Amino acid sequence: MTPRAGTAREFPATALAGPYADGLDLPYWEGLRAGELRLQRCGECDLWIWGPRWMCGRCQTFDPKWTAVEPVGRIFSWSRTWHPFIPELAGELPFVTVLVELPHAGGRRVLGLLAENGDGDVAIGDAVAGIIQQPADAPWPVLRWRLASSTTETERGTER
Amino acid sequence: MTDTFLRGAAAVVGASEFHYKRGESPASELRMTLRAIVEAAADAGVSPREIDGFVSYGGGDNDGTVVGASLMSPRIRWSTMIWGGGGGGAAAAITNAAVAIAAGQARCVVVYRAMAQKDSGRLGYAKHHFDGHMLPHGVGSPAQACALRTRRMLEHDGVPESAMKSLVLADYFHAQRNPHAAAFGRPLDEADYAASRMIVEPYRLYDCSRENDGAVALILVAAGRAEKLSSSPAYVLAGSQGAVGGYAVDSENDLDYTSAGFSGAAGVAETLWADADLGPDQVDVVQVYENFSGSGVAALIDHGLCPRGADAGKVMTLENLTAPHGLLPVNTSGGNLADSFVNGMGLAVEAVRQVRGTSTNQVPDAQVSLFIGGPMAALSSSVLLCTRDVL
Repeated sequence: MTPRAGTAREFPATALAGPYADGLDLPYWEGLRAGELRLQRCGECDLWIWGPRWMCGRCQTFDPKWTAVEPVGRIFSWSRTWHPFIPELAGELPFVTVLVELPHAGGRRVLGLLAENGDGDVAIGDAVAGIIQQPADAPWPVLRWRLASSTTETERGTER
Repeated sequence: MTDTFLRGAAAVVGASEFHYKRGESPASELRMTLRAIVEAAADAGVSPREIDGFVSYGGGDNDGTVVGASLMSPRIRWSTMIWGGGGGGAAAAITNAAVAIAAGQARCVVVYRAMAQKDSGRLGYAKHHFDGHMLPHGVGSPAQACALRTRRMLEHDGVPESAMKSLVLADYFHAQRNPHAAAFGRPLDEADYAASRMIVEPYRLYDCSRENDGAVALILVAAGRAEKLSSSPAYVLAGSQGAVGGYAVDSENDLDYTSAGFSGAAGVAETLWADADLGPDQVDVVQVYENFSGSGVAALIDHGLCPRGADAGKVMTLENLTAPHGLLPVNTSGGNLADSFVNGMGLAVEAVRQVRGTSTNQVPDAQVSLFIGGPMAALSSSVLLCTRDVL
């Protein structure tokens, strides 16, 4: 699955991109800097975990391992924002936020902006692929998503 | 029936609510809280200095010792906050007051909530949800977070958008007979609704709650005392709270994503019905916290008041949702959308009015009155109020 060849839409940084003060999710952000999506996976029972946690609640093993995940998946849900809720993104309306289910991370779901025109067709089940963008003047990169079906007539997902 | 010591042990005997346009309250949250408590105590026929228990939810800086100090309370026995942001704990706060009374921890408990934007800002009850794993992805408000869930409820579960519209129109319909409602004299029809601007799909302007400055207080006492004070106490029949499995404010990985938080692993609704020993078809009137129309619909589905999927549209019609003769009268004062929004607590006051028979959209002979707290919040809660005959 490859994102289409066209230019990905870029977004300005928002103030809160970056790790928590307690460092819990620092490896996530360092992963993006290294060009990878990294999520947590329990070193003992292999459970994929997201959002970030200090321990695996299933087997009580601390410090789940940050593990690279192929950033491909399907849209689990989405919304299109028309109102300027976030000042930094007020000039970008409308934009589409997708919730992506990751088959290579136990079906865990991650949020991201769709790096496409905000008024295009989107549907649950659409295949998407992640790209890492570095907003200008921002300390941390951010994971965005592109529709994988934009260049080829990929069928919409059946796993709705 | 589940054996529960809570059933009918306590009752709401006094209530007060007032509201202003957001940002326009002439007073601080503390002053408004005190006014609401004094008014609710007068309504109940108790002295404010009798209040020995204080319960709130959803934030706010004025805990029981702060409020009690102003009231010159001789003894504070109970001061608790329901954890969890947003309005999810609104109904749990009433249950918590009843628990304190049933357990002998307090005798006269006030449940209160005040909002003034001068004190806590816009969305002061919800800011902490939006962190570095949401804001960079364009999600910075409850509307956007709930829209993701509602989108899947519509597109995947097959709930028709008409269900959302009917809830909005019912709220505005009821507000036209409530002179205190913000939308009183400002009716809304289908064309207005359809023409309103998109906020975040699938929510239009009218799908989104208003926000108000204001305050609400409810006074609860033990059942025996309630009978002496009031001819129509609103007894706490059952209350339930919880969080859906997998819920986390920093992710979107709940096990039951389109739930409003009352069903699935949380079992909030199932527990409520079991403890009450009755089912959704025995409820006479419902106040459902609709921060957004879609999450209100999801909450009704969770409680079994409305079927899942496409059939939701058959129940969620304007005719069904409106008092006095609808099958499922909801938000009979106008709800958060058309009456007022003080973190949803005005809905609780209307739930009490229906038991007392004093609503401006009274459901005839209402015996069982359901208040559903904030949906799609970290913690969700609901509470059943009833007349003495139901116990």
